[in-house]
Amino acid sequence: MKTLIYSLAFSLLFLAACSNGNKETQTTATPDSTATKDVVAETSEKGASTAALLSSYIKLKNALTADNDKDAAAAGNEMVAGFASFDKKSLTPEQDKAYTDIYDDGKEHAEHIGANVGNIAHQREHFDMLSKDMYDLVKLLGTNQSLYVDHCPMYNKNKGAIWLSEVKDIKNPYLGKAMPTCGTVQEELK
Amino acid sequence: MKGIKKVLLGLLVILVIIQFIQPARNKSGQAMPNDISKMVAMPAKVQGILKKACYDCHSNNTQYPWYANVQPLNWFLDDHVQSGKAELNFNEFGAYTPRRQQSKLRSIENSLKDGTMPLSSYTLIHRNAILSEAEKMQIISWVQISRDSLSKKNF
Repeated sequence: MKTLIYSLAFSLLFLAACSNGNKETQTTATPDSTATKDVVAETSEKGASTAALLSSYIKLKNALTADNDKDAAAAGNEMVAGFASFDKKSLTPEQDKAYTDIYDDGKEHAEHIGANVGNIAHQREHFDMLSKDMYDLVKLLGTNQSLYVDHCPMYNKNKGAIWLSEVKDIKNPYLGKAMPTCGTVQEELK
Repeated sequence: MKGIKKVLLGLLVILVIIQFIQPARNKSGQAMPNDISKMVAMPAKVQGILKKACYDCHSNNTQYPWYANVQPLNWFLDDHVQSGKAELNFNEFGAYTPRRQQSKLRSIENSLKDGTMPLSSYTLIHRNAILSEAEKMQIISWVQISRDSLSKKNF
């Protein structure tokens, strides 16, 4: 009887600890969004709206290039905040619709990247889909920095994947240090 | 020794009390206008596999096991169901934006291939949710067909 009660007590503690842990990761996934808000609001030239998101995206890309899952997660969370504080006021109704589609999808990929420290393969899966979102976002709203659209032919069992880069040299975020220079520049965005 | 007994008795009382705190059940008798079967063709076999292996956490209707009546196990279950539904809800699939629908289908394929879904803590008890290679292939090929048909619909 005593051991039964003990084990019940332990499992109770264990479950309580479990649910606490879950809550913690949820709160850390939303860092303060006010900081990025100011940056977006101040500048209103063409492509300025995407600048904050792109800068977090580039950080994420560079972290994956260096096989650094922790920095990737931090940049992922930065993007979640960037999506949350994105200023939609300047968008036309048509742009708004397209943006909402991108936002709905992209935000979720960023969340997953932020929540998956220790699983860089999973971060890269979401980075693949997120990169397509970011490409379409830049196509939709423009950018105030020049970007290169790079293509990695080998990723995802040779199905290939794209990423955006701020530099012309190939630095592959999908294969990381294993094959850093694999890939080609496909397109230039300005 | 007396002290320990008191503590244990206290725990027992707590255990009894928490039996009366039960989270709302994930059950819905409502029509589902956004169900995935309204968006893409779903063969009966595929539906059967999804029902037995996925719908407990990824739909608006959970088939509760007997121990769902026992706390604190029900909290644990409820937590899983809530996060599972937030991640992917087959009954609300039509409410996702087109791009997100594509991503979800792709993630279904990936998680089956990687073996991350169904969760091992789930298959530990639900032995019939352990999918055979043939069943996985059925789902994966259905996912691929669905992705094609959805992208044709939207563009």
